Amino acid sequence: MNDRLLRCLLALGAIAGLVQPALAQDDQVFRYPEDTRPASLLPFFAEDMTSVRMVELIFDSLVFINKRGDVEGALATSWKVDDDQQGISFVLREGVKWHDGQPFTADDVVFTVRAARDPKTIFNARSKFNFIKDAEAQGQFGVRVSFNRPVNEAERRFLFKILPQHAFGGSTAISRKDKFARQPIGTGPYKLDKFSLRSVDLVANPDYWAPAKIGQVMMQHTPDKAAQVNLLQYSGGQAGVQAVIFLQPKNIPLFENSDTVVLEPYHTVSWWYMAYNHKNGALADLPVREAIALAINREELLAAHLGRGDTLSGPFTESSPFYNFQVEGREPDLERARQLLEDAGYKAKGGARQKGKNKLKFKFVMDKELASGQELFLGIQAQLKKIGVDVDAEYVDHARYREQVFTKGSFDLTMNVWSFEEVEDVYPLFHSTGVMNFIGYKNKDVDALLDAAQATKDYKKYKELMKELHAKLNEDLPYFFLWSLDVYSGLSKKLKNVFIQPYYYFTSFDEWELKP
Amino acid sequence: MRALPLVLAALRRLAGSLGLLVGASFIIYMTVRLAPGDVVDAISPMGTPPEVKAQLAAEFGLDRDPVTGYAAWLGRSAVGDFGESLAFSPGESVMEVAVPAFKRTLTLCGLTLFAGLTIALGLAVLLGEPRPRQQLFTAPAYVLTSTPSFVVAVLFAQGMNWLIHAYVEGGGFETPIWYPIPIYADSIMPYVFAGFAMLAGDGLFMDWFNTLRAELLGLRQAQFITAIRAKGARTTGHLARNLLVPIVSSFAARLPLVLGSVVIVEYIFTLDGAGYVLLEASRLRDFPMVVGLSVLFTATIIAVGLAADLIRALVDPREVARGG
Repeated sequence: MNDRLLRCLLALGAIAGLVQPALAQDDQVFRYPEDTRPASLLPFFAEDMTSVRMVELIFDSLVFINKRGDVEGALATSWKVDDDQQGISFVLREGVKWHDGQPFTADDVVFTVRAARDPKTIFNARSKFNFIKDAEAQGQFGVRVSFNRPVNEAERRFLFKILPQHAFGGSTAISRKDKFARQPIGTGPYKLDKFSLRSVDLVANPDYWAPAKIGQVMMQHTPDKAAQVNLLQYSGGQAGVQAVIFLQPKNIPLFENSDTVVLEPYHTVSWWYMAYNHKNGALADLPVREAIALAINREELLAAHLGRGDTLSGPFTESSPFYNFQVEGREPDLERARQLLEDAGYKAKGGARQKGKNKLKFKFVMDKELASGQELFLGIQAQLKKIGVDVDAEYVDHARYREQVFTKGSFDLTMNVWSFEEVEDVYPLFHSTGVMNFIGYKNKDVDALLDAAQATKDYKKYKELMKELHAKLNEDLPYFFLWSLDVYSGLSKKLKNVFIQPYYYFTSFDEWELKP
Repeated sequence: MRALPLVLAALRRLAGSLGLLVGASFIIYMTVRLAPGDVVDAISPMGTPPEVKAQLAAEFGLDRDPVTGYAAWLGRSAVGDFGESLAFSPGESVMEVAVPAFKRTLTLCGLTLFAGLTIALGLAVLLGEPRPRQQLFTAPAYVLTSTPSFVVAVLFAQGMNWLIHAYVEGGGFETPIWYPIPIYADSIMPYVFAGFAMLAGDGLFMDWFNTLRAELLGLRQAQFITAIRAKGARTTGHLARNLLVPIVSSFAARLPLVLGSVVIVEYIFTLDGAGYVLLEASRLRDFPMVVGLSVLFTATIIAVGLAADLIRALVDPREVARGG
């Protein structure tokens, strides 16, 4: 009797708990998950991609890159570059208001530039403002920005977001602890409604000069990739999502013939690399670097672990105007690799290689957050073993990786991804004085090419120099350039008029529509 | 007069608990502070000059040696100031972020334990002595209980989504508001599912059920219960009073297990509790947040243990006499 009663009670409880009345779906809410929580909605400190995408919705820049790849005015309606390319003057859009109702003026642009140049404002992208000497207002709706040196296509450098002077009390020293990071005030198509522990809710800005068609945006921090796929796959539900920014290659087949989801390419201007520490005696030797590069089969690794992409021969993606298609990538050649090591004095001994008492053994430091990092390392380890090179992995979390690799240089080999905004600026990576030259690379010819490129006013000449740099870096192997990936977003078919901006993603979001 | 030994025992335990909390906070602080990778490296650009990094370190209070830093932290935390978040929510006070999140987590854990206790006790009463037919229920329950709670959570989420999708596609019923999992809608269901995962996995529920059933069976057969029954009096009150000690003890013993598993379960069900904040803050090396939350977790476990001891002492004065 007790058992029968129990079974009935359990069944009733299960049914009661599961069935709840469904509410009417709000068709004007765009929901999407992100891998990481936004670190800051203050544009200077928006250093992770989640923050970059959110900031794109909340703030405006003077200009933006439109769908055709041309520069178009946003907060600026027109501009004129000086004849000597050492300055630019903008005419600003009138009638624009900040989200708190204050008027946008030239003083805000001047403030933003000066804040970026203030030595007390410490942020990762500071070097992007180094070309600027100063900015000055010319009336309420005019700004002139002067440069330290001639700059090609100067208007393309003004994609940074403008900040409201009145929100910072006039002080140009901006701290990442400022409450503005949680309570941003922009001029963009969306304004902040709520920033809670793991979600950010935005509502359309009715005063925006090109009003958005979707009423609300809700971003939720969903670190688990499988959960993101669930939310998209079952997006017929009330609480499903309309987009997943990055679909992992293994999940793409789920949506290839989907009735509800379409795959859209998301061009990220990023490339993978394997870096050599040039302070390591063996790796400072070009034949050793060359041998390692010849042993690695990139196509095999790509196909096995990451899906589709293009193997690269230099520090640019194939869609970059600087990519040198005359430079061929290295094809795997184990015989040549072994010969190079023999000639360099690393003799084969019992499956390993030695030069005197020094074994050819390296520490390969990996960031645990790198997608498929472990599988890629195991593949590389097996490939290098074939030429007698031993590598041991050290997997560390992201914070420790930054300290160990970028700050202390305590690694021999590492693998990672560089992402750029519109066009790759590789000066900081490969110039001997470059702030991001963590590998200790020094090459006078490369320095000369980079310095000449920075000094030239002629864009055609600049492109030629970059292509020459591409060839030089392919030859000298500061990194072994691996590949750029074909990245796809999964988007609900209810979304219309979609264009995914390279890198920024949501630049054209005000034109997107969400049909019922 | 009977109250005095109890009060003294309580004061002794309180003093010991405070000492334990200070000791635990020291270990937590040192472990986090000395862990490789710090927030200054995490947030400052490559090529940042050493003097600028030093400025940032001073701003974050990282310029002091760890022992001095701990002493300063202890002084502030004694008045409820755990400092400011460095990376999770820069500039916000740790208490402002941590306390509301912790309340949500405690509510989830408390209700999970309470629900588990109620169901386990109810089943123990209903099912009585173990019988072969009950293996139909206990066998799958043992399989479930030997699975880690986060695995239960993931499998449950996947399975439920698949099931609901199939029913909805087949016209079975309308789409529930809480579908798919994880859930964005304003609903209590993610908490229900999270509670189920924590209860079902890691041996929590079955262990509780077995313990309570064994205690209950033992009590029913005890001589004093037989004597009470023989006199024609009701035994319910006596059974309840005598069960209180094992119930309270097992509640206090299982709280650390649940608080441990809640960290991952909150991540899976996208709940905004202290477990989620702790995991994110650890990843970002936000040491004030990590230390603050860890101390809150530790303080809760110590406080619940202390409360359990006091309740045991009230119910069973022999505990005080034994020096408990």
